[in-house]
Amino acid sequence: MTKIDGRDATAFRLQRRELVAYSIAALMSTTMVFTATTASYAQSIDLSKWSPEYVKSIAGTEEFDTAAECAKVTPLDYKGKLSYWWTGPNDASPDIERKINDDFWAAWKATYPNIETDAQNIDYNVLLDKLRTALLGNAGPMVLRLQILGGIEFSSKGYFQPLKPEDVGYASADFWPGALKSDTYEGVLYGIPTNNETMAFIWNAKIFNDAGLDGEHPPATWDEVVKDSKIIHDKLGIAGYGMVAKQNAGNTPFRFMPQMWAYGGGTLDESTDAPTYETVMLNSAGAKAALQASYDMYVRDKSVPVSALTNTQNENQQPFIAGQLAMMIAHPSEYAKMKDLASKATGADKAVADAVVENMRYGLIPEGPARRAVVFGGSNMHFIKNEYVDGGFDAGAAKAFACFWNSPEWSTKLAWTGSNPGNLRGFKTKWMKERLDTIKFLDVTTSMLPNGIPFPVVPYATEIMNHIVPDMLQNALTEKMTVDEAAEDAAKKVQDLMAGM
Amino acid sequence: MSTVTGQAAFAGDPAVSPRRAGLLRRIVNHRADYLYVLPAIVVMLVVIGYPIYYTIELSLFKTPPNLQMKDKIFVGLDNYVTILRSASFRDVTLNTLIWTAGSTLFAFLLGLGAALSLHREFMGRGVLRALLLIPYVVSAVAASYVWKWLYHSDFGVIGALAVQFQLSDRPINFLDNLHSVLPSLIVVNIWKEFSFAMIMLMAGLQTVPDQLLRAAQVDGANAWQRFWHVTFPHLKSVSMVTVLLLMVANFNSFIIPWIMTGGGPAGASDIWITQIYNLAFGRQRYGVASAYSVILFIVMMTLGYFYVRALTRGDEARAG
Repeated sequence: MTKIDGRDATAFRLQRRELVAYSIAALMSTTMVFTATTASYAQSIDLSKWSPEYVKSIAGTEEFDTAAECAKVTPLDYKGKLSYWWTGPNDASPDIERKINDDFWAAWKATYPNIETDAQNIDYNVLLDKLRTALLGNAGPMVLRLQILGGIEFSSKGYFQPLKPEDVGYASADFWPGALKSDTYEGVLYGIPTNNETMAFIWNAKIFNDAGLDGEHPPATWDEVVKDSKIIHDKLGIAGYGMVAKQNAGNTPFRFMPQMWAYGGGTLDESTDAPTYETVMLNSAGAKAALQASYDMYVRDKSVPVSALTNTQNENQQPFIAGQLAMMIAHPSEYAKMKDLASKATGADKAVADAVVENMRYGLIPEGPARRAVVFGGSNMHFIKNEYVDGGFDAGAAKAFACFWNSPEWSTKLAWTGSNPGNLRGFKTKWMKERLDTIKFLDVTTSMLPNGIPFPVVPYATEIMNHIVPDMLQNALTEKMTVDEAAEDAAKKVQDLMAGM
Repeated sequence: MSTVTGQAAFAGDPAVSPRRAGLLRRIVNHRADYLYVLPAIVVMLVVIGYPIYYTIELSLFKTPPNLQMKDKIFVGLDNYVTILRSASFRDVTLNTLIWTAGSTLFAFLLGLGAALSLHREFMGRGVLRALLLIPYVVSAVAASYVWKWLYHSDFGVIGALAVQFQLSDRPINFLDNLHSVLPSLIVVNIWKEFSFAMIMLMAGLQTVPDQLLRAAQVDGANAWQRFWHVTFPHLKSVSMVTVLLLMVANFNSFIIPWIMTGGGPAGASDIWITQIYNLAFGRQRYGVASAYSVILFIVMMTLGYFYVRALTRGDEARAG
């Protein structure tokens, strides 16, 4: 039995009170977990005032000249080479994301015409494996943008150079403290947060109404998600909740962990106020309750897609736009994607798709007995050490690029529909104002930020999140193991992992 | 003359065994021949020999996620013990055997049937032969994605057709079910590789003497008796080679299971090669993955031995 199993209902109530207290008193630092850290930074954005209204009030209040700022880091006529790997827009991305991506590369080339750039846009689920393999052969890129979960593994192995915003012309105070913390290993910062986001709960109001539910009021708790998903499936014969439980896919923990944290569980103690990452919580009562809720939806009620075990979030898009799926967890970009899909639909499909877009709603991710939670997501930019870079590291080119990408202008534009600028000064730009004016539901997702919990900052975080957690889900959902057995098996795997360090 | 010198040297050195002396003498005698093949041997040592050596070496080390490869920890045979004792090894081995035996057997039988059917002259034979070759020439990656969607548990074409023709009241769950996933993947693999067996066996059928078949017919043998007593014995060698090549390919098969299920759900379609990939590049257990690879290598070498024996036996039979 692990430490956290001893917590009782009183502990949950206490924690909930603490949570509320933090939410009200701190209003709202990046994450509750890092509230204390927030105080140590003098930020140009006042995170203590964070709210959708505050975000709107500061948008468009400052002007920025990206080229001028970056010229102070690396002269604009600098001649050099750059190699860069990242996960950029793909076929599932809204058209606007692809356009902004093209605009960015054109602007980069125009600003630094003498830096020869080799940029590789690598699939989200492939990048980590490819990077590991490349680094074994000293064939990594100079600069890398990696999901927030992935960095510590490589920092701890010594592949990354220490890197802080000041190295490329910005102040650490202008980044989310939680994001910086997620990239700090043994007191050293190894990356610059490029973008940070939290997801939201999306539902189709018409499906809710058709099933006799209130289309304007989504499930407030995870228990209600289970209940409503069953009602929708039983009455309409379609999937209620868009569960994602694919193995080795980042989409899975991003959707399951909010549920697990809400019930009071966790992988380690990442959801506590001062995580030590030494307590395994996968076999806690909260974790088992969350797993049981998933089991109830998949096995007992059969109210979620059967293909959930092989689905990523991309596979939820088509059924959602076809009116065959009622609820899912996703980014604000999902709305833009649905509009794109609707615009491309024809005939009878067009009417259905337009109705789905019309009835699409965003809300807060449901809460559980312990808290409301969401994964504090995003990506960080890293510099790889010279000896592991194919062709050697060009510091001038890398710094110029990091400055350019993380500028208030481009960190905002590149996060257009799916995220938020890592550089908080981006919130003051006119582009942020444009986003708020044009992107429906953006304020909902940004208002989830204070509920964000970062994944554990440990070298084996990717194995826990991308393998052990999905394994646990699959073992329970296929009934290969009972819920208890699956949770205990997962906890043992994490304990073995920690023991083997 | 170097040969004489060499002989004298071996004769005077009791430490060198006669057998070794004989080998060295042969090398010296044929030094020009060996010089000709030396570049090829060097290339083979670099691209085949070194990776094998490195894999074996790595299988004796532990590679935790917080350490670089150069800091790996020596653990002796622990990785082998861990693998052989693990329940997952038994499950994965069973999956691998089912996958290999099922794919090989049915691909061979289907290929044999197709080869026998296409051996006769009939109108459209060329077109049909070309059509049957399509699965073999289609990219395995593309085929896997197409089949993945055909099989999709909610919106797959096969499931939709089954519902439409009232064969099932809901779409069939091919890939998200512990019991149906492996047979479903085997069907795709058979579809992909039966053409290979067909080509091999069609070539084998060319060697069956017509006069023997006619003589058997004159003697009153029916079609089955002609096949079993005349045709099949002539196909024995090529069948052996085909089965062995299919087995080797299936033991090493990666693309179809990896793309379609990644070994899931809950490891139900995990075979050795997907497990090795997952251990190495997903979980960074390079040491354990290497130990798995060494075990697989031993199995493959055993199969390779029988393959070479089958080939050699064929040569000997022809020479005899």
